[in-house]
Amino acid sequence: MSVVCNLADERVLIEAAQQDPSRFAELYEKNFHRVYAFVARRVRDRDEAEDLTAEVFHEALRNLGRFQWRGAPFAAWLLRIAANTLADRRQRAARNGGISADDPADGEAVPSVQAEAESRAMLYQLVDRLPPDQRLVILRRFVDQKSSREIAQELGRSEGAIKQLQFRALETLRSKMRSHHE
Amino acid sequence: MNSVSIFDELDQAIDRLLADPDAATADVRSGIAELMEVVPDLRHLPRADFKTRLMVELEWQTQGRAISAAPAQPAHAAGSYQPGVDLLPTLSGNAKSLYPVRGANFAASVALHAAMFLFVSLGLVMVKSTSRVMEPRVTSAILIHPYIVAGDGGGGGGAGDKVGASKGKAPRFAREQFAPPAVTFIDPLPRLPLEATLIGPPELNVPQAQMGDPLSNLLTLSSGAGVSGIGSGRNNGVGPGDGSGRGPGSGGGTGGNIYPAGNGVSAPRAIYDPEPDYSDEARAAKYQGVVVLALVVRPDGRPTSLRVARSLGMGLDEKALEAVRTWRFEPGRKDGHPVAVQIEVEVDFRLY
Repeated sequence: MSVVCNLADERVLIEAAQQDPSRFAELYEKNFHRVYAFVARRVRDRDEAEDLTAEVFHEALRNLGRFQWRGAPFAAWLLRIAANTLADRRQRAARNGGISADDPADGEAVPSVQAEAESRAMLYQLVDRLPPDQRLVILRRFVDQKSSREIAQELGRSEGAIKQLQFRALETLRSKMRSHHE
Repeated sequence: MNSVSIFDELDQAIDRLLADPDAATADVRSGIAELMEVVPDLRHLPRADFKTRLMVELEWQTQGRAISAAPAQPAHAAGSYQPGVDLLPTLSGNAKSLYPVRGANFAASVALHAAMFLFVSLGLVMVKSTSRVMEPRVTSAILIHPYIVAGDGGGGGGAGDKVGASKGKAPRFAREQFAPPAVTFIDPLPRLPLEATLIGPPELNVPQAQMGDPLSNLLTLSSGAGVSGIGSGRNNGVGPGDGSGRGPGSGGGTGGNIYPAGNGVSAPRAIYDPEPDYSDEARAAKYQGVVVLALVVRPDGRPTSLRVARSLGMGLDEKALEAVRTWRFEPGRKDGHPVAVQIEVEVDFRLY
């Protein structure tokens, strides 16, 4: 029942955004982490992941008027765009640099790939909901790749306190991810 | 093992995984290993500001209309245009943008920009109106004196007569002068006749159509009013100069060859005439007037022998001389050839 309601809501959002592109922000909010998670797993670094994610959303916004509702989630359409964008980029890279363009996982947004992206997107959303000090430590540790000592110096706290915050944050994330899957 | 050790162990495991993404985590205790399950995915976390940046980019893509998760508002929020309702939505605080804008701030910004524009425009107008302070110009090219001399040579003489020297033929030139030129001969049959000469190279050939002072118009014989020689000068020469040669100037040889404009001699024309500066003193006193300079324009177009013919004072004479010295002229011509011509230049100093 909830899935039906969600799909119905999503259809309303899509139609509203098709009439007024400024409403696209709601669809963006709901799907940002999905698209990013899908792309990030398939590229070499964070810069490339952000670049491709931006390309996907710009493309989606450009082609929103041509989107036709067929009952599938909007995320599936976005991930299809992402898969095509990745495939195009790989083909260009293959022509220029000689790497293999054959990567079925990139070319097809298959259900298992979507589920994996969904799981990672959930993790990223959970990071956003952490207490501010824990979230800051996680971002410094994994995005900026700083050591606990460097973070402690930057925030003016003890190294032990930073390690504790890190532990608590991972504990929370692991716990919520597990409960979500169950 | 106490809790501090767990924190350290987790931290070290994360360090290893960040250094090498393929590093195994099997050697850590089970509690740590469970936590480490989420770490590989955390390595790909987006930057904290990326989501916001992309949202702004998408807003730009929608041609300036704000991306907003707020419920739709009638007409205005849908971005429709209502003629005559809100021409400046930013001023009324109704503009759609990522950040809220107060109408008063927008109005203050417009006012400040307008004031700045006015200030700069006024400055430009003032600079333009005071940029041309004075207007020097060549108003005439007239002869001041037929024999104002520049250059070497020349001479003059006379015998203290009351009338000017009579017209006649000038003596020849010689290296040494034994007898000065004279119109009146006291002894018509001297025992040892000496031919009167002028000091100068013997090969010097000048027109000799007349005897005596070539400029004299008198018909009666006279050596002129000068001293020793013929003419109004002195020192055994002919003419108004000061020497034992002929013509204006001093010393031997022939002086002059400077023409007045007119009578077949064209007037020089200034082709490069930078304006003189105004002296600080004259500017402060708002002093204006005309300085007249007399000068000779050489055949190469350069001015020489500059002197102040009519002074103005307050440093303006010096400023005029300083400027006119740098002027260049199209030289005057006689029979198609450039010649030195004496002219006068008026430099008009005006404050506007």
